[in-house]
Amino acid sequence: MNRTRWIFVGILLVALVIVGASLVWRAVSNRGSTPEGLTVERPAAVTVRVLTSLPVEPWVRSAAEAFNQSDPVVDGVPVQVEIVAMDGLTALGRWDRNDFGALAADVQPEDLSEAERAALKDFPTAWLPDSRYLVELANASYKERLGRDVFLTDGEYRARSVVISLFTWGIYESRANVLKAHFGEVTWRTIHDAAIAKGGWPELGGDPAWGYFKLVVPNPAKNAGGLTAMIAAAGEYYGRTDVGVEDVTNPEFQAWLGELMGSVTDFSSASAYTAEDFALFGYSVGDGGQLLESDLLQNMQGILTRWADPLVLYYPRYVTWFDFPFTVWMGPETSALEKNAALAFERFLLSEPQQQAALAYGLRPANPDVAVDAGPDSLFVKWQARGVEPVVPRADAMRNPDRDVLLALLRWFDLNVVE
Amino acid sequence: MRSSPQRPWSKGLPSDQRTCLVAAIILIAVACMCGVLVFGAGGQLWGSLTSVFRPEEPTSSAAWPADSAALTVAVSPGMAPTFQELAGQFNRQEQRTPDGQTMQVQPLALTPEKMVEQSLATPSFQALAPDSSLWLNQLERRWTALQGTAAGEEALLPIGDRRVSNPVRYATSPIVIAAWESVARELGWPERPIGWQEVQRKATQDPNFKWNHPSTGHASGLLATLAEFYAGAGLTRGLTPEAATNPQTLEYVKAVESTVRFYGEGEDVIVARLAAEGRNFLDAFVAQEQVVLAWNRSSQGERLVAIYPAEGTLWADHPLALLELGGPGETAVTDNQRRTFQAFAQFLTSADVQRQLLAAGYRPADLSVSLDGAGSPFVDTDAVDARQPYTTLQVPSAAVVEVVQNVWWYTKRPTNVILVVDTSGSMEGVKIERTQEALRAFVSHIRGEQDQVGLVEFATSLKRFEQLQPMNDQNRAALIEQIDGMQADGRTALIDALFEAYKYLQANGDTEAINAIVAMTDGQENQSAYGFSDLEQYMAEEQAVTVVVFTVAFGSDADESLLQNVARAGNGQFRRADETDIEELYKIISTYF
Repeated sequence: MNRTRWIFVGILLVALVIVGASLVWRAVSNRGSTPEGLTVERPAAVTVRVLTSLPVEPWVRSAAEAFNQSDPVVDGVPVQVEIVAMDGLTALGRWDRNDFGALAADVQPEDLSEAERAALKDFPTAWLPDSRYLVELANASYKERLGRDVFLTDGEYRARSVVISLFTWGIYESRANVLKAHFGEVTWRTIHDAAIAKGGWPELGGDPAWGYFKLVVPNPAKNAGGLTAMIAAAGEYYGRTDVGVEDVTNPEFQAWLGELMGSVTDFSSASAYTAEDFALFGYSVGDGGQLLESDLLQNMQGILTRWADPLVLYYPRYVTWFDFPFTVWMGPETSALEKNAALAFERFLLSEPQQQAALAYGLRPANPDVAVDAGPDSLFVKWQARGVEPVVPRADAMRNPDRDVLLALLRWFDLNVVE
Repeated sequence: MRSSPQRPWSKGLPSDQRTCLVAAIILIAVACMCGVLVFGAGGQLWGSLTSVFRPEEPTSSAAWPADSAALTVAVSPGMAPTFQELAGQFNRQEQRTPDGQTMQVQPLALTPEKMVEQSLATPSFQALAPDSSLWLNQLERRWTALQGTAAGEEALLPIGDRRVSNPVRYATSPIVIAAWESVARELGWPERPIGWQEVQRKATQDPNFKWNHPSTGHASGLLATLAEFYAGAGLTRGLTPEAATNPQTLEYVKAVESTVRFYGEGEDVIVARLAAEGRNFLDAFVAQEQVVLAWNRSSQGERLVAIYPAEGTLWADHPLALLELGGPGETAVTDNQRRTFQAFAQFLTSADVQRQLLAAGYRPADLSVSLDGAGSPFVDTDAVDARQPYTTLQVPSAAVVEVVQNVWWYTKRPTNVILVVDTSGSMEGVKIERTQEALRAFVSHIRGEQDQVGLVEFATSLKRFEQLQPMNDQNRAALIEQIDGMQADGRTALIDALFEAYKYLQANGDTEAINAIVAMTDGQENQSAYGFSDLEQYMAEEQAVTVVVFTVAFGSDADESLLQNVARAGNGQFRRADETDIEELYKIISTYF
């Protein structure tokens, strides 16, 4: 070996010594002070935070209490579930703005300072929105930002429905009788005609004390149901299940929709719990509306207790389903252990006892082994006389809206109704 | 062979050695970089650099410890006594946060309008409980406007950052027209429905009919005014800014507002005055249904009944909401305060508290609590009707509500108010400074251009008499200049000053306007040529123009007995104040005009 090569080997050895010494020094100096790794070290306990949409929140919270009381353990680590109630649309807005603080594509948890790691302690482990389309929209947003999906559509961690529900007409019986006598059936078109009746209820054959016809539609900026109602109305207006941007931006449709929305008495409601408001303020704020079946069923007893007039349900021609997908966050902000613990809770929700418990909340089971009328507490049994149908009739399911339809409707609402 | 140009640093080395040297330097550089990265020095260095250049965030004026579990809740004055009692019950439970802090709720009575204003800056409270969701909506709208749209432009959804979160309703009560039973029967109750328009017609046609609604800073006052706008525009829904500002609408609203006996604070103050002044004080007033039940339970004599307006009404829906603080210059709501909020919200909606709210006359938010159950105040009475209201007025957008609130100032009854101010020697020091601040605030709060303000400054005798001037910007500035120039000296001739102010308003002869005197003193009358009996006799004899007299006792040395007598003779109110609340009191009084 000539001198040049000796020099080369020597320098190589020096470089390796520097790197080796650095690694040894780091290991020694960081011992005992390194914060718990997000993916490597095993914690003493794991908390699964589930962002839960409002219609299923009471059931999921109750299930979480039962889950927590069973002292669950995943991979040898105790698990607790924490429920964070949030409307699906609001949660989508927060994912979209990255309010939860997902890391950039080139940042790994081990690169973070202790304070930055602490900020991730409340990062949601899973999301249970109203509908799969919200998951797709969140994925689209993160794909632009990170170049990958953050919620999976297949495999073990895929979004999976835990219960389902659909939108039905809920109308105070006295008003429904007048509407049926006048129009023959309850549809978005007849509701529109009732809404624009200049003489109000007397013109339709109703009591003058009822004032004008009042529609109940949740505020679309606060409740995913509000947006769904507008899409369902568009479907019926055009007589099809697939509605595009050109449909919802059609001036004739917008004028029709504007007249319909003009019969809503109050969009300033504090909460997104529209069916609850419907029950709380009774026929004084709304004669009827197309709302989530489970919300209507949950509030049926309250309506009977508080108001003299019961509510009746009618199933629309074009049906919108909410499939409540349980969706595990796949980014590095949560550990593999947390992800697995979330899956354990998902399995718990899908278990027969919890699916049966969902019936008492008016939710339809996702587990096909559990019948809608199973169990004495099923609201589908309790309220059959009020028009609830265990098997949905005449179902033409509306297709999920795409991002542009969603945006167009929200902007229209903002400019024409809110303002 | 063409030789390549040699670089100075490698001059003289053979080519293979040069190659080795370059490779060695690269390797050492890589190794050093690895070392730097492994040690984290780079991160630290970057961190220190960025921290040097990171702008300092402004500090907050309202601050609390990072682990605080004390939650201050701004609450509407009408609900405040009930809320105070409930907060006390909650605090006595001594619930604890996971880190051992005791959860505490501290109510702070504030008008909803002020809650909204303060929530936009750095409020001293972390949660709010206004009488209606209308205020939360208005807060969100103003917050979004303050934030601008920049943040939302890149977002998928036009759903902005919210200032409030987790709203929970704990009680409701519809807004009604509360009337003495005899008055209600005269209007047609209970045989036929009665509307806003009938009450408004009665008020404009019968000069003896005395009615009142709170200022638009309260849900009931806002609703009453909104109902006037709807009636004026001939609508029950779809009220637009254009319809609200139509001259015909404004003319109608102006005619109705001219019949209002006085403007003022909330229902709580109206009820207090009813209790103090008796049956003849008012024939009817706008209030929550709960006020009717509470009055009938606690008072003897003729009962009140609730008229549910036929055109529709609104609901006071009593939300409790958390403020999302934590922006630049703000102290964030702590995790413990969030826990206290959640626990308190659960407490308010618990079955026991819901029953207490029912007993207080509110309709519970818990639908399982029946209004027809044993012990319910809704049972065995026809003064209220649990099945009503049958319909509601449409709540216009926040933009229209703001227009209505602003237009009200220009359609309400004009006001002539004389400020009678004691600047005797005893006022020297902090008292005169606070008084000047209070007067400046008062003058700033008189917003209608039809409203006129005059000033009588007295001590041993009259020091200054500024005649009534419309409160446009120029006159307001001139009056504030006079206030700034006030100096304390001399004795106290209050009665003479009141005589002058009263005489002036009678001579002015403006019967269309509300005429009022707001008199303040900190001491004893010791210099006037006239006595109280002379003033009382004069006020009884000279009534061509109705003049209302408000009196303010500033500090503990004021002659409260005399001031109470003057207020009684002048059909007005007596109030106490000190250095800490004189400004607030003047602001409150300004809402009466």
